[in-house]
Amino acid sequence: MSSPLVLLPGDEIPSEYLPSTNSAPLRLGPGLRLLSQPPSSSAPSHVLTATQAGILSTDNKKNAVSILSAPNRRYIPTVNDLVIAQVHHSSPDYFHCMVTPQAPHVVLGQLAFEGATKKTRPMLKQGDLVYARVLSVGLGAGAEVELTCVNPATGKAEPGGLGHLTGGMVFDISNGMAARLMRASSSSADQQDGVAGLVVLDELGKKLEKVGGFEIAVGRNGKVWVDCSNGGDAAVKATVAIGRCLTTVDQHDLSPADQKKLVSRILREMKIEV
Amino acid sequence: MVGPTASLTPLARADGSASYHCPSTGSNILGSVNAPVELPGRRDALKPEDATVEVFVKTGTAPASVGERYVEGIIRGVVGRLILGRERGYARRGVVITLAIVGGESVGRADSHLTLLPALLHTALLALLSASVPLSMTFSATVLSVDASGKITREPSAEVAAAAKSIHVLAFTSKGHLLLNESEGAFDFDTWEKVRQRASAICHGTSTVGADGDIAMVEDADGQPLEGTIRETVEDQVHRDYAWKIDAA
Repeated sequence: MSSPLVLLPGDEIPSEYLPSTNSAPLRLGPGLRLLSQPPSSSAPSHVLTATQAGILSTDNKKNAVSILSAPNRRYIPTVNDLVIAQVHHSSPDYFHCMVTPQAPHVVLGQLAFEGATKKTRPMLKQGDLVYARVLSVGLGAGAEVELTCVNPATGKAEPGGLGHLTGGMVFDISNGMAARLMRASSSSADQQDGVAGLVVLDELGKKLEKVGGFEIAVGRNGKVWVDCSNGGDAAVKATVAIGRCLTTVDQHDLSPADQKKLVSRILREMKIEV
Repeated sequence: MVGPTASLTPLARADGSASYHCPSTGSNILGSVNAPVELPGRRDALKPEDATVEVFVKTGTAPASVGERYVEGIIRGVVGRLILGRERGYARRGVVITLAIVGGESVGRADSHLTLLPALLHTALLALLSASVPLSMTFSATVLSVDASGKITREPSAEVAAAAKSIHVLAFTSKGHLLLNESEGAFDFDTWEKVRQRASAICHGTSTVGADGDIAMVEDADGQPLEGTIRETVEDQVHRDYAWKIDAA
């Protein structure tokens, strides 16, 4: 990809930008629609037009094409999103949790945890945090969103780490940053300049090895949970330092080089031995 | 001719927002869009497969009056044609557009609201783009006044508009269709045709067919076409949002 193609609604996508493999059908992502041209024009009878403003993004492996539009929008739950939810209250069958403050509560089944039965089920209190996957979003007005901490097919917490988050601290980040962090932490860190322009996690991981490393969970709803429970005396300081690094990188859109500088500066300010 | 200036997403908590300043009419508009939102009551039942578009125009100083209700109706008609209310997640939901007139000369009760209309329309469009509401196409709009001698003024100030014989607001879609035509005052068809040609040149530029058959946009006395301004504003914002991705590529 040489220069990114910025499209506005109604713009046609030039065919040279589309993935060229013909084996699989082209998959259209969000922000695109297929229109048929009037029969008078000759060769291509269909055109792809954008419906949102953003960058055209193509994936040659999946033969998919989509539009990346404004990244920092309000979070709207989508099936299979990983979110960090806070328990608000519980009822006999469900925990009622908060995902975003402006939306109605979502429900999380009392038994939707790994290994939970009617006799052994997690006792979550008000204010407890859970890392969960969106199981279903209802249709129409007033529909309930349901979360789960377990894969219903296997009964395991897949991917690992779903469930009650104990200890640690939650920081608010923008939704765009949450998506970038997820991409950065899910793919293997073999690239030199980091994935999605983020090196802050790799850098923190290297520097905080001496205090016992840290755990991180990223929710698509703009929350990140950080815990350094192995850190001993420096645990609280390190947790706060990681949170400060992430929120600062988010607010100031720092480049990889600046991210490295920021990590050293904050660790020095917080007097954490590295 | 100083063109309008605009910025996307100045408000952090709205789904999409835009601010727009037009120096020649002196209008300064701040707009926000929230979509998709749950509608109160049972309004969704009236149009079960489409989104409901609501437009609110708030004045800066004067109390709200029928003039604002009138432009709200026009804006709702224009953007309602462009919003794809049947896309996933939008049916039976609301698209709420709020436009606040934050600066410029206040429009009195009896004055024409047409001079403000293009700025309001552009703000609404940019806010919709910033909220990623699915649209079928974009548009650009302008206001022209014709005085007694037949002279056409682009985007007149309040005094010029008050002295004008007729005022016209025209909007063109990005595909070149005439989307909106609101006129006020006395005029004949020849005048209107001249106004339409001038408005089309302001919105899309004077198109000249090059030697290779390409239609090139050229800048003339009217400066950059309005459509180019809107595109540049969006491109700037996209480049800022995705700087990490573009720099890496």
